[in-house]
Amino acid sequence: MAIYSFWIFDRHLGNCIFDREWTLKSNQSSGTTNSKLNEDTAKLLYGMVFSLRSISQKLSGEGSHNEIRTISTGKYRAHILCTASGLWFVLLSDLKQEDLSHVLRYLYSEIYVKTVVHNWFSPVDFAESDSEKRGQGFRKIRNRNFLASVERFLGPMVN
Amino acid sequence: MGDSGLASEVNEHQRLQLQFQLFQESLPKVDETIYRMLLNEAVPLAISVEKSLTHHKEDATGQLEAELDSKLALESQQGDASHKLLKDYLAADQDQQTRIKTRLENIGFQLGQKLSQLLIFSNNPNLSFKDMDLLSVMKFVCRDVWKQVFGKQIDNLKTNHRGTFYLLDYNYKPIEPFTLEEDLSDQEQKLIEPFLHVPCGMIRGVLASLGFEKEGQVTCQATLVDPPDSKQAGAGTFTKSVSFNVQVLVGR
Repeated sequence: MAIYSFWIFDRHLGNCIFDREWTLKSNQSSGTTNSKLNEDTAKLLYGMVFSLRSISQKLSGEGSHNEIRTISTGKYRAHILCTASGLWFVLLSDLKQEDLSHVLRYLYSEIYVKTVVHNWFSPVDFAESDSEKRGQGFRKIRNRNFLASVERFLGPMVN
Repeated sequence: MGDSGLASEVNEHQRLQLQFQLFQESLPKVDETIYRMLLNEAVPLAISVEKSLTHHKEDATGQLEAELDSKLALESQQGDASHKLLKDYLAADQDQQTRIKTRLENIGFQLGQKLSQLLIFSNNPNLSFKDMDLLSVMKFVCRDVWKQVFGKQIDNLKTNHRGTFYLLDYNYKPIEPFTLEEDLSDQEQKLIEPFLHVPCGMIRGVLASLGFEKEGQVTCQATLVDPPDSKQAGAGTFTKSVSFNVQVLVGR
């Protein structure tokens, strides 16, 4: 079991509201959280998922609903969960992981909902004005419950 | 003869229990999450009402213009988001904060009054409301009221038998998920304060409807305290517990 990074995008076209990248397999606390350096990577990742998602939806034919679940490349596999509210949860892992959708679902329903949505101090929508939409947003999830729960849940899966 | 009397008594009790259970099941049910959110939303509501009242006093003409704008606009934005209203609360002066808290206590008070009526109506066989003394009223608050509202009982009740009570809740559910950023503890505590005024009012409301209704007879204050070591949760979670201090002036 190895995961490389975890990303959350909100519904404002490419705003990355959370990123966590692990650099060392051996160390669960290594790597970066909400890093400025990851902004470009986030945009590329968003673009990749966005295009493949629209392709998959176009190829599914009339009427049927077809969400993208995983994208595999030669080196890694991206697991994707798209919610109806427009949030994307993306988890990058090694190729041995066939399906991590249960992990993503847990991250959404047990961690995101409980520590961000039910948190009255945290904004529901991370873009506060029009100028912060369409990939221009810079606000990230910083609340300590969320960070700690993500660490506790995903940490053991790093190596 | 005595035996059969006892047996019928047990049966009577069982029958009451069963009736109570059936009654509980027949009560309308609501979703817990929505209900909790609604209860918490009382705070932004109070802040918003307070805010629009003061605005109204300050510039009536500006208000009118804004109203016109919002009516002319295709997509009228109804009010501010909850987390922004809470920030407004932090920025408000002492006077406004007190008014907001009073508003919240009144909401809680009315809730408490109705709640005890509901609980009396629900005909709980474990309780008799006749000749209730202060201690059993407080026990009623700890067990039944808390169970009804927050889905759990108060963890600890302390009293000096002279009208002072401490009700300790080690994990007060509604504020559990509330955290700001990593290290803003002072602000966080200040923001949590108004959320504690609703249950305070509620305790007062329940007491008022059960006979302790004189003006200023009951005071209730809530503070955040550190939980005892055994209850300390893992790192990163909310570790404060809530202590409600209830003072009741008994007759004489």
